[in-house]
Amino acid sequence: MIPRLLEWLQSAAGKAAELLRSVNSRMPPRLQSAVGRAADMARAAARRMPAVFSRMSALMPARFRSAIDRAADMARAAIRRMPNAFSRMSTRFQLVIGGAAALTLAATLVGWFFINRVSDVQSQVNEGSLPEITAAFLVTEYTGSLVAAAPRLTTAETQADLNQVAADIDRQYRAFEEQLAILEGGGAEGNAERVARIREHGDTLISSINGIESGMPETFDLAEREDMLRVDLTAAQDAVDVALFPSVDDQFFYLVTGYRELDEPHDARPDYFTTEQLNSYRHLADLHTDATSAAQVLASVFTVSDAAQVEPLRERFEAAAGRIQNTFAVYQDPAAQFRLAPIIDQLIQLGSGEGSAFNLAERQLTLAANQREQLAQNNVIALELTDEVEALVSAANTRAAEATLASDQAVLSGRTWLLVIGALSVGSALMVDWLFVYRVLLSRLASLSDRMRRMAGGDLEEEVEVKGRDEIADMAAALEKFRQNALEVQRLNLVELMAQELEEKNATLDKQKDDLEEALAELSKAQDQIVMREKLAELGSLTAGVAHEIRNPLNFVKNFSESSAELLEELNEVLQESSEQLTEKQRKDIEDISQDLVSNLERIRSHGERANRIVQDMLMMGRGGGESRSIVINDLLHEHALLAYHSARALDPDFQLDMREELDENAGEIVVVPEDMGRVFLNMVSNACYATDQKRRGAAQGEPYMPTLTLGTQRGEEDVVIRIRDNGGGIPDEIREKIFNPFFTTKPTDQGTGLGLALSNDIVRKHGGEIAVESEPGEYTEMIVTLPFSPPERLGDEDEEEDERDGEAVAAESAATGEQAQADGEDEG
Amino acid sequence: MRRARRSASAASPLRAALGTLASLGAALILVGCGGEATPTALPSPTPSPTVAPRDPGVSSARIVVGQSAAFSGSAGELGVNMRMGIQAAFHEANEAGGVHGRTLELRPLDDAYEPARAVANTRTLIEEEGVFMLLGAVGTPTSRSAAPLAHEAGVPYIAPLTGAGFLRNPGMTSVINLRASYAQETEAMVDRLTADLGAQRIAVFYQDDSFGRSGYEGALAAMERRDLEPVAAGLYPRNTTAVKVALLDIQRVRPDAVILIGAYEPISTLIRWARRIRLHTEFVNISFVGSNALAQALGPDGAGVFVTQVVPFPWDRSQNIVAAYRRTLAAYDPSSTPGFVSLEGYMAGRLAVAGLQAAGPNLTRERFLNSLRSMETVDLDGFELTYGEEDNQGSDQVFLTVIGSDGRYYPIERMGDWRP
Repeated sequence: MIPRLLEWLQSAAGKAAELLRSVNSRMPPRLQSAVGRAADMARAAARRMPAVFSRMSALMPARFRSAIDRAADMARAAIRRMPNAFSRMSTRFQLVIGGAAALTLAATLVGWFFINRVSDVQSQVNEGSLPEITAAFLVTEYTGSLVAAAPRLTTAETQADLNQVAADIDRQYRAFEEQLAILEGGGAEGNAERVARIREHGDTLISSINGIESGMPETFDLAEREDMLRVDLTAAQDAVDVALFPSVDDQFFYLVTGYRELDEPHDARPDYFTTEQLNSYRHLADLHTDATSAAQVLASVFTVSDAAQVEPLRERFEAAAGRIQNTFAVYQDPAAQFRLAPIIDQLIQLGSGEGSAFNLAERQLTLAANQREQLAQNNVIALELTDEVEALVSAANTRAAEATLASDQAVLSGRTWLLVIGALSVGSALMVDWLFVYRVLLSRLASLSDRMRRMAGGDLEEEVEVKGRDEIADMAAALEKFRQNALEVQRLNLVELMAQELEEKNATLDKQKDDLEEALAELSKAQDQIVMREKLAELGSLTAGVAHEIRNPLNFVKNFSESSAELLEELNEVLQESSEQLTEKQRKDIEDISQDLVSNLERIRSHGERANRIVQDMLMMGRGGGESRSIVINDLLHEHALLAYHSARALDPDFQLDMREELDENAGEIVVVPEDMGRVFLNMVSNACYATDQKRRGAAQGEPYMPTLTLGTQRGEEDVVIRIRDNGGGIPDEIREKIFNPFFTTKPTDQGTGLGLALSNDIVRKHGGEIAVESEPGEYTEMIVTLPFSPPERLGDEDEEEDERDGEAVAAESAATGEQAQADGEDEG
Repeated sequence: MRRARRSASAASPLRAALGTLASLGAALILVGCGGEATPTALPSPTPSPTVAPRDPGVSSARIVVGQSAAFSGSAGELGVNMRMGIQAAFHEANEAGGVHGRTLELRPLDDAYEPARAVANTRTLIEEEGVFMLLGAVGTPTSRSAAPLAHEAGVPYIAPLTGAGFLRNPGMTSVINLRASYAQETEAMVDRLTADLGAQRIAVFYQDDSFGRSGYEGALAAMERRDLEPVAAGLYPRNTTAVKVALLDIQRVRPDAVILIGAYEPISTLIRWARRIRLHTEFVNISFVGSNALAQALGPDGAGVFVTQVVPFPWDRSQNIVAAYRRTLAAYDPSSTPGFVSLEGYMAGRLAVAGLQAAGPNLTRERFLNSLRSMETVDLDGFELTYGEEDNQGSDQVFLTVIGSDGRYYPIERMGDWRP
């Protein structure tokens, strides 16, 4: 194992050396030699390697050697498994993602590295150059302020102003020192010397400024003294004027007039007009002139700007003062001397001695010149200082520029590196996309999905191709399996589907058959009904004819029975007239017979009348009664029910009926033919009476039974429902269908014609209504009549037409039915 | 100069360095889009307060009025009387409830007839005391120095006791004069002298300052109009009594009359010496002389000395303004003696009150001056003052008075009316 590795390493070193050689030829000479050295070293190392390793393996313990061998075996196994694993897509995905992560990591590291470099450079600028530049800038600023403040010192007018300016200067100087300390601490090489020079200049500047400041109190002092001197001078001038003007005036007036005082008499001319008095006037005038001149010279000394001009003025003043003193010496008036001496002395005092105006002005001018000089010097110092600072700034600036260059460089290489990595990433992404994602994954997935779609569409015939060993191949295999299964299922499904369809068709057929049968039944029923109707119609016309024919014989019976009764009365009268001719027994017999006859005739007459009434009714009913009109339905029902009940009681006084009414208050009026509808109710209530009576009669002794009739009305939206319910024997199911058939009856043949309900049905239908029956055999029967509020329009027309068309037939039918109803009133089966 | 340039050049490397830093910051973003540093917004200038300015010296309760006048020295008598008249008028107005509810208060300062002190006083009154107006200044040289200050500061300068021409200049918009000018007074003098006395030889004696020269020029102009010229002109230095040499000059020409433009002390000296050296001539004084003081100083020598006046005769109670003045003065200070100057002071006070009254409750200096100007006629109890756009002088009236043998003044119409 190890020797093989060594061989490989040796060959690799050889190849590397060759590669280096080829690179070498394209490199700068210094690198070439370095690379050459590296290659030599690699070769030497490779040459030494086998020996080293063999020595190492000899030195190793046996256990260690076997462990190495085991590891090598495991590695080999892993390598053998590798191609297999590599064919798996997940492995390839991991590899691609790993590659991407590696690239990202590389980009991050490169970015981090260069950002760090830029940040280093920036912090160098921030911490080094920038504070230095700022401090230098501020030093220049403060220097400027210091230099600018110095003239303000000289223009300060009071000590307070001066103190303020001095405080300002002090503050600025302290700030200046601070910034200078920063510069000193900045520590860039070559700065220390400059900063030292700056400090030196700063010291010179501040000492100069201090010099100016220390000179200022004297300036103030001088200014104060100047002010006082000016005041004194003005006072002296005024005093000279006030003293000398009147003196000159007085002396001249005396010379001319001889008057001294207002209240004194004037002197004699020889006394006042003398040489002595003239000289006195001259001296006074000279004194005034010289004093004025001296005062003017004194005033002018404060206006000169050059110290050199002070001396000539001093000379002129001294000359004037000399003249004044001379004049004063020869002026002999003691009073005037006493008055004028202090004024003149004061004036001369202002211009002589230590505190003279001239010395003062001289000192002021000298001071001002010194200050100017110092200010000029300050400017020079400031310039030098600024030059130094500028040099400092430009040095710092250069360093900053270098740093910027370095950071630019870093940015550039960082950008290049990132570009390379980015290009690499994009390239590999494209490669992965084309080689792997598209070719290996997407195209095959697309074909698979296409297959699946087609399979979903029902194409299960074509076989799915299986290529490769990866997950998609697995999917394809699974799909193939699925396809086969689906094919199988499809076939099974087809059979089941066909069976189901057959079943459905059978069911349909059955239903059709049932429908046909039902229709057939209905047809035959309708046929029966038609036959029945025709039968009834024929019977009706027959009955009508019979009724008509019967009325004549009945009239005969009636008339003759009446006339027989009259005859019998006449006979009885005759018998009365001749009663004495007869015996008691005969008379008795005759009377008996006569009475029997009368009673017979009476019966004949009454039965005849009854028969006539029946016929009458039959005829009238057949014609449909009368006009249809609006009537309160509840009243109609109530009246006819009572009528029927009384009829029943007339036949059988034992009959009892509990009649209950559940009438709807709102049933209101409906439009009907009252006679017809009354007949319907009469018929139905009669039937109920009959049924309950039958049940009463049939009931066992002691069994409590009370015939009960319930009448009900109920108003609907468009119609009224009338219910007539009895608790009679009910209608058996097998005959319920037939009760409306004409001539169907359950009553004994002498009691019912079977026409009652048929007619009722007929009437109700003509009114646009209908009759329903509910019954429970042995329990109850309920007839339910539903009537619209107003009958159909054609009710009347139909009646008329019918009257015209088959008047006879209807009349016959009506007669028959009427008789039926009248005679029996009960049809219930 | 040099310094500023240096500072600028020192700033430029700094700016370059900052620029470098900015480019560094931009480079840090690695993507090449660099951000320009946003310029810091300049602080907007704080708006100046817009409170309606109220002129100094005016509050809801009072109005402060300043006066710089001579209360001492050679013209002290004038200032004292002027002040008394003004205070009497103010007292009267205040007693009546003030002007639009504001009481008037006078701040008098003594300038001793010295221009320098008048300037200092005026400055103090305007800048420190913050007076609303200046009233009743005394003297021409003092007014000459003080009026421009007041004019410059926009402070009304009302009724100065002087007739100098420069205060009548229409450009002096802050000045309101009460009295007739010196030119009008001297015109009246020359008119009366020539008309009443037939005087032709007229001499002029004047104080050697702006007051004296102003009167002298007026007299000169008046004579020129009559084809005359002064036969002699004498002068004396201010604040002295050195008048005798000038008297000799006047005596030499023997004039019919002497027009005197000066203060009472040197004038009285001159007249008394003139009497002493028997100079027989008419003396005519200008109002500023200080009539009461003059009569007092002259004593018996005063008889027949004329004085022109610019206010009515203070003892003529038939005139309403005089009656009001006398009443008010007696009420204000019963011990005081009436006179021409205090009457002028009283009228000055009344003029100020009238102006303030007319200016209304929202008082400003401008409104005050405008109201006086626009009134045209200010009626002080019958004494009418007229003003206009080009006219800041209220009265043009000149009254003639003479000192009697008893040392008292008498009002006269013509000079010939008086005989000793």
